[in-house]
Amino acid sequence: MTEGHWHVTFCIYRKKGDQPPFYQDFPLEVDPDEYVLDGIERIWAFHDRSLTFRHACHHSTCGACGMLVNGVEKLTCITPIRAVTKNGGTIRVEPLRNFPVLSDLVVDMAEFYLRMEQAHALQVVPVAQSTLPYEPPPFPDDGLPHQRLNDCIECGMCVSACPIALTASSYQGPAALAATQQTYSLTGEKSLLSLVDCADGVWRCHSGFECTAVCPSNVDPAWRIMELRRQVIRHRIQRIFHQDR
Amino acid sequence: MPGIQPKAREGAFLWLIKILAGLSIVIVLGIHFVVNHLVAPEGLLNYSDVVRYYQNPWVVTMEIFFLITVVTHALIGIRSILLDLNPSDSLLSIINLILAVAGVGAVTYGIWLALEIASRGQ
Amino acid sequence: MKNNQPAPGKALRWFDPRHRQPGTWAFILNRITALGLTLYLALHLIMLGKLAQGPDAYDTFIALAKTPWIKVGELLVISAGLIHGLNGIRIALTSFGIGVTVQRQLFWGFLTLALLGTVIFGYFMFFVH
Repeated sequence: MTEGHWHVTFCIYRKKGDQPPFYQDFPLEVDPDEYVLDGIERIWAFHDRSLTFRHACHHSTCGACGMLVNGVEKLTCITPIRAVTKNGGTIRVEPLRNFPVLSDLVVDMAEFYLRMEQAHALQVVPVAQSTLPYEPPPFPDDGLPHQRLNDCIECGMCVSACPIALTASSYQGPAALAATQQTYSLTGEKSLLSLVDCADGVWRCHSGFECTAVCPSNVDPAWRIMELRRQVIRHRIQRIFHQDR
Repeated sequence: MPGIQPKAREGAFLWLIKILAGLSIVIVLGIHFVVNHLVAPEGLLNYSDVVRYYQNPWVVTMEIFFLITVVTHALIGIRSILLDLNPSDSLLSIINLILAVAGVGAVTYGIWLALEIASRGQ
Repeated sequence: MKNNQPAPGKALRWFDPRHRQPGTWAFILNRITALGLTLYLALHLIMLGKLAQGPDAYDTFIALAKTPWIKVGELLVISAGLIHGLNGIRIALTSFGIGVTVQRQLFWGFLTLALLGTVIFGYFMFFVH
């Protein structure tokens, strides 16, 4: 099914230093089955070497290439051009929202990573204990202790999509809360609950479920935030009756 | 750049109160509509109807309970919206004061009004 | 460098439904109806003060409340109450981990109920009473 090439305009958010941001158009001839990131790389390679963007693995594992594509958070390395525009159409590419823009499409994730660290986010989890909101694929029953990579690839797209993170900079955000839920369910570490039982934690969420919609990796942060609320409430009520900590 | 400094400001119980008050409102409002618009099909549309309605102590109790839950739910909700705007600690303490005064004021006024109306029956 | 950061000044963008999911539409409706109902609560408490002024003051006020524009306003309040109350049930359920996977269907279901309720109330208010 070769439909030949498409003519697509990449409309890219540009920003350097303290200069005001602007959008720059790059008309490109693309194969519609190429990914959005391929187009951005081609612009950098052949049209403008000053364009900055983050990427690494090209197969949705590193979480570096999250951007706003036509207003929606997308992992650009796995988003086919066909899925976001049509022949003769435009692809508007912007940096993630709710993060400071460092340069063009690159945002500052420092505080995001700090929050993940404070939530004791895990890199790997034992298969048997990975609480998932879906049925995980089966592992071979060979008697070996299997571990799986944690679903969260720390791309930050959930924070970018969150309508509350838009106004509340101190909100811990979906990724950190989801990580807290997972770590708590594995370790039972009570201090994690005190970290999130506050205005900037689980109670700031207003159930928009945008985080879950944009998550490229089955973390389902909204489900985890709700789960964490239940755990906080349960712990608080238990504390009234048992006085355990 | 600072990490998370958890500030209490809004905890599990405040949130639980909001949810429970919300559910009570749904239930009481349901009863209110059944009583006022089905049992009394013409509604309580004039002064003497209202006074007569308030002679029932259960009605007065329910209306006062309703008043307290609605005011509580509304004010915790407004506070939650304001918290979404990331207020500073000093601003939040002013907000808390204003909301507390508004809440106590509204409930006191409402209870006075309900008892005043009830007392006019005799 | 700071143009993309969260800021309280961006509060109006809460209400921008473009590129958003049903969950955010529910959040937007909930927030608008919350503000509207709080305003109504304040007005309602003030207006009920007319009762304390005796039969004449209250009955004159009720006569005013029967004019069509006030009735449209009342219908808006009923509609807002239905939307906020039914969506509130959805939020309460999902917050306790119930129905999180069907929250979209819950939203559409409750919104349909709220609109249906508004139509029924509107019919009784304008054509029966």
